[in-house]
Amino acid sequence: MFNLVIGQYVPLESYVHKLDPRAKLISVLLFVVIVFLANNWPTYGLLILFCLAAIRFSKMSFRFIYRGLRSILIIVLLTFILNLFITTGGPLLFEFGWFHIYLNGFVQAVFISIRLLVLILVTTLLTLTTSPIEITDGLEILLSPLKKIKLPVHEFALMMTISLRFIPTLLEETEKIIKAQAARGSDITSGSLSARFRAVVPLLVPLFVGAFKRAEDLAMAMEARGYHGEEGRTRLRKLVWTWRDHVLLILILLLTVLLILIRS
Amino acid sequence: MDITFSHVSYVYHAKTPFERRAMDDVSLRIPSGSFTSVVGHTGSGKSTLVQHMNGLLKPSKGAITAGDITIRANEKNTKLRTLREKVGFVFQYPEHQLFEETVIKDVVFGPVNFGVPEAEAAKRAEESLRLVGLPPEYWNRSPFDLSGGQMRRVAIAGVLAVQPEVLILDEPTAGLDPRGRKEILGLFDELHRKGNMTMIMVTHNMGDAARYSDQVIVMNDGHLVMADKPEKVFVRKNELREIGLDIPEPMIFLDDLSEKFGGEYTDPVFTIEKTADAVVRILNGGRANV
Repeated sequence: MFNLVIGQYVPLESYVHKLDPRAKLISVLLFVVIVFLANNWPTYGLLILFCLAAIRFSKMSFRFIYRGLRSILIIVLLTFILNLFITTGGPLLFEFGWFHIYLNGFVQAVFISIRLLVLILVTTLLTLTTSPIEITDGLEILLSPLKKIKLPVHEFALMMTISLRFIPTLLEETEKIIKAQAARGSDITSGSLSARFRAVVPLLVPLFVGAFKRAEDLAMAMEARGYHGEEGRTRLRKLVWTWRDHVLLILILLLTVLLILIRS
Repeated sequence: MDITFSHVSYVYHAKTPFERRAMDDVSLRIPSGSFTSVVGHTGSGKSTLVQHMNGLLKPSKGAITAGDITIRANEKNTKLRTLREKVGFVFQYPEHQLFEETVIKDVVFGPVNFGVPEAEAAKRAEESLRLVGLPPEYWNRSPFDLSGGQMRRVAIAGVLAVQPEVLILDEPTAGLDPRGRKEILGLFDELHRKGNMTMIMVTHNMGDAARYSDQVIVMNDGHLVMADKPEKVFVRKNELREIGLDIPEPMIFLDDLSEKFGGEYTDPVFTIEKTADAVVRILNGGRANV
């Protein structure tokens, strides 16, 4: 029902899917930082190239990603337009009334858009190729040093896993209740704005009641199976660091070095 | 009001990696005033099929006609509201759709949405609550304080209060105790026979499908496999077993019994009374009396 790919996971067999989530998390974090190193055409070109290669290796279809990100492209477009008008300097390209577009403004707008776009692409690719469970597992291990200062890392990870786990369930439930109420003449997907607004309460109340009930059941089930926190727990899915993960990190470092060398 | 499907297909999540064909080229006819059961393995497309009947899902291909309303693929239909007023839908675990402060308010919700005046809606709500057998002392309580079985009755009353001509039931007895099951099914049977309401019931219970229906529709993997009288469907034992379904329990029992007597019993039998007759016949080697 929602045509957005952000946060969705598409299980496929690819090099990117097989990478250790820790390696992917570190790489995405590093990438987000080094994106800001780029400041001229070759460096931005390099970033784009890296993204395209990553998508290629993940076996995701470009069309699917494009369709999923279409709604976000509006934000990119908005940033583009804002930068286009705000930045001045360089030769005047276009003039209409009090609109002035300068070369620097145009270049800046393109750069900022590319920056936004690669950031969105890389983070989307992370969630597209890594299951939520893998991401939280990876995060928990990466953050485990924080346990030294008494941060409940395991509990945070568990909360994240549980909420992620229930997103599809809640979506399914929402869809079901939407249909059930539509069958009773209260359709939130069509009709006038006020009619849709009136259809919100009949949707939200059952949804909340269901969510609380489910949470209660889950707590009970966990207790019944003797869950008592992190101590003494082993993992069902052990994360394995392979040579591929080394390669990914080396690639990211290489990209960093290249960006530093080429940037002006 | 007749419901007709002609070459209806439905694809979930079209053009994404999650694309799945849930229904493939289904054609069928449900005559006005009939009782039709839809059976099939989990994921066979039963729910998808029935959700097309009141426009909750729109076909990817083909057309559906319900009375004088037609829903075609790739065409916006403005009469969905009228259709939904005439075709009521009791979802699986319908108690999950309750939301109002009191039982009576929740039951009134449907008719008011379809433009029935308040007073008339209240009258209908009371009628429906009586019909489902919920005593008046519960009517002003919160629906969330009731037991599971009572909540289901309230939810069903909420659909009945709209006074639909056709009623779709998606596993209406799931999770009920044997007595609740019997009462609920008895209610639908009565509505069907006395109220002349067209019934369409999705069920996993072959016994119920056999006992109550004029027509049984068998779905498998999105395809319509059989659509016929129960007596004709349930004699095709081997075909049904191949797609993960079974025959009604009395027939299984008679099968086993006649096998022990060295014969084979293939007549369709659905009720306890008829089973007793059949047992007598087997024990007597074919004669009807002892």
